[in-house]
Amino acid sequence: MKIEKLMESYKSLIAIPVIITLIAVVILAVNGLNYGVELRGGTIADLQLQEPVSQTQLENIISNGLGTNDVSVQLVGSNQSTVEIGGEVDPGILRNTLNGTASILGFRSVGPVLSAEALNQIFWAILFAFIFMAVTVFVVFRNFVPSIAVILAALSDIIIAAGGMSLFGIPLSLASVGALLLLIGYSVDTDILLTTRVLRRKEGTVTERAVDAMKTGLTMAVTSISAMATLYIVVVLLIPSAEVLADIAAVLIIGLAADVLVTWLMNLGILRWYLERGR
Amino acid sequence: MSEIADFLKDYRVILLIVLAIGSIVSISVLGIQQGLDLEGGSVIQIHLEHPVDQNTMNTVVTVLDRRLNIFGVRDINVRASGDQDVIVEIAGVRPEEVTNIVGTPGVFEAKIDNQTALTGTDITNVRPYQITGNQWSVPFTVSTAGANRFAQVAQGKAGQPVEMYLDNQLVSSPVLSEGLATGTPTTEVEVSGTAETREAAENEARNIQAVLQSGALPVKVNVAGVSSVSAELGDQFRTGALVAGLLAVIVVSIIIFLRYRIPLLVIPIILTSLAELLLILGVASVIRWNIDLPAIAGIIAAIGTGVDDQLIITDEVLKKKGSKGGKESKRRSATMRMRIKGAFFIVFTSAATLIAAMLPLAYIGFSRGYAGIGILAGFAFTTIIGVLIGIFITRPVYAKFIERFVQ
Repeated sequence: MKIEKLMESYKSLIAIPVIITLIAVVILAVNGLNYGVELRGGTIADLQLQEPVSQTQLENIISNGLGTNDVSVQLVGSNQSTVEIGGEVDPGILRNTLNGTASILGFRSVGPVLSAEALNQIFWAILFAFIFMAVTVFVVFRNFVPSIAVILAALSDIIIAAGGMSLFGIPLSLASVGALLLLIGYSVDTDILLTTRVLRRKEGTVTERAVDAMKTGLTMAVTSISAMATLYIVVVLLIPSAEVLADIAAVLIIGLAADVLVTWLMNLGILRWYLERGR
Repeated sequence: MSEIADFLKDYRVILLIVLAIGSIVSISVLGIQQGLDLEGGSVIQIHLEHPVDQNTMNTVVTVLDRRLNIFGVRDINVRASGDQDVIVEIAGVRPEEVTNIVGTPGVFEAKIDNQTALTGTDITNVRPYQITGNQWSVPFTVSTAGANRFAQVAQGKAGQPVEMYLDNQLVSSPVLSEGLATGTPTTEVEVSGTAETREAAENEARNIQAVLQSGALPVKVNVAGVSSVSAELGDQFRTGALVAGLLAVIVVSIIIFLRYRIPLLVIPIILTSLAELLLILGVASVIRWNIDLPAIAGIIAAIGTGVDDQLIITDEVLKKKGSKGGKESKRRSATMRMRIKGAFFIVFTSAATLIAAMLPLAYIGFSRGYAGIGILAGFAFTTIIGVLIGIFITRPVYAKFIERFVQ
């Protein structure tokens, strides 16, 4: 079988996910991450347009009304618009400014105190999520190299997902942080499957067990990724204002796709290396 | 047929059926509370200048609540969030009603005969109001400077109204009692009056107390964030989430069918997912947990891991179905048990890592309140609940089903 042949060169295959992870690090370092409104401070408003208006017109109306130039308008569909305004805005003043042009469907304004606090919390939440996950993996497998392989895989997934966010301009927001946290717990599922099947099962050769695990793991990946893709498409087409859901879906799609390579090339590679080293 | 009867007799199956019925009853009787982002409404986050203790926080919440009531904002819910934030929720989409009132300084002034007798800064402590019959009184303490000024202004004016203003709005004008009009300064002051009924007396006393306290908000507050969602947008979110969920189930079913080509498999996977959804909503309805957008994301996450777990169980059971024939059926079912046990080792470990990763988020939400990332507490909590329901209730039933019917 081709797969089995390919698997024999596992040592060189480990390089693929490692290189992708490094590329993600470079993209992150060069491109950085955008912050969403909750983390940057500022105002976002979803508008229902009451009359046809161009992007520039709407931008002018708002910047004149609020006396700020820090306004960016995006038209969504035929009669909705998302507006981002720097700084805190009084919703009453915005409502008066837009009177006759548009009504406010949704409004979110975040001050600097809140955004600073949120950033701090995100750091600790991600750090501890990772530590707790790592401890759980160690407790369950009680075996250093296989555990480290799983943890490294999760780390790679997170880094690649973050790199993808940077590349596609998905902002770091409360929603995408939620997705990253989910990814920490969720992406290790396939690694756990692989490790359990290869280490604990007795039937068949290591390669056979790995191929078996891979069949299950790939089905899991395909179902998860397609479910998320469905969510993404529905949000983009049907509820563009629920951008947060699309962001969650996008981050998970990138992370889970990365996980396919990371699990079956890197984690499996390390596992085989570990198992065959003694022989 | 006997296989079905046997399946239905299993305690895990019975448990699931009982819980499913319980959930349906609970949802239809208690309903499901929806978050403001689905129902429409506004959330205003108020940040205190510095962290405060529980007592001070209670005062702040009471004062803000009363002040908003005095100014006629309806359907409000004011609650503390951690030790430095207060969340105000209103049903409408005009958060400025709240931000304007909270944003105003809350300047209190008591005038007698158009002369300022007391200001908010003079008040050092307001004690709970007292009611005797139709009479009410609110005792409070003022600073020495305030007591002196009041004594001067009030001297000889017994029977005249004390006009109390909050931000230049007249909120009450009780009558000056004789005891306070003698000219002797006292730091222990009491405002009192009579109303038509006991209820009216209580109302008035409560208002006066709030006004006095408003002038003495123990800590400076600021509007830190505002978010508001119209009912229309909430509707769109709900519909969108339903459509996405439905389509996701269909897509996943197609993939599973293509992979296994066993139609009988698709049914329990869909049923298990639906049962998980039902039980999560049932739990939410019993504990009055708000279902908002983050919670919906959590439900999707929990059900998503559920499908993964079902695939693991299925593959473990279907793999090299073992030797056929009746003679070895005993051994076969023993191997089957082993395999399902193996599958559940993976299922439990996966669940443990997911819960571990969600714990910090849930912790922040519960301990630090809903400020900042705490908004996501609903996401973490729903995921954890969903995963627990899955691994202990629904997925064992799925395994039982596969073991019995798919061979």
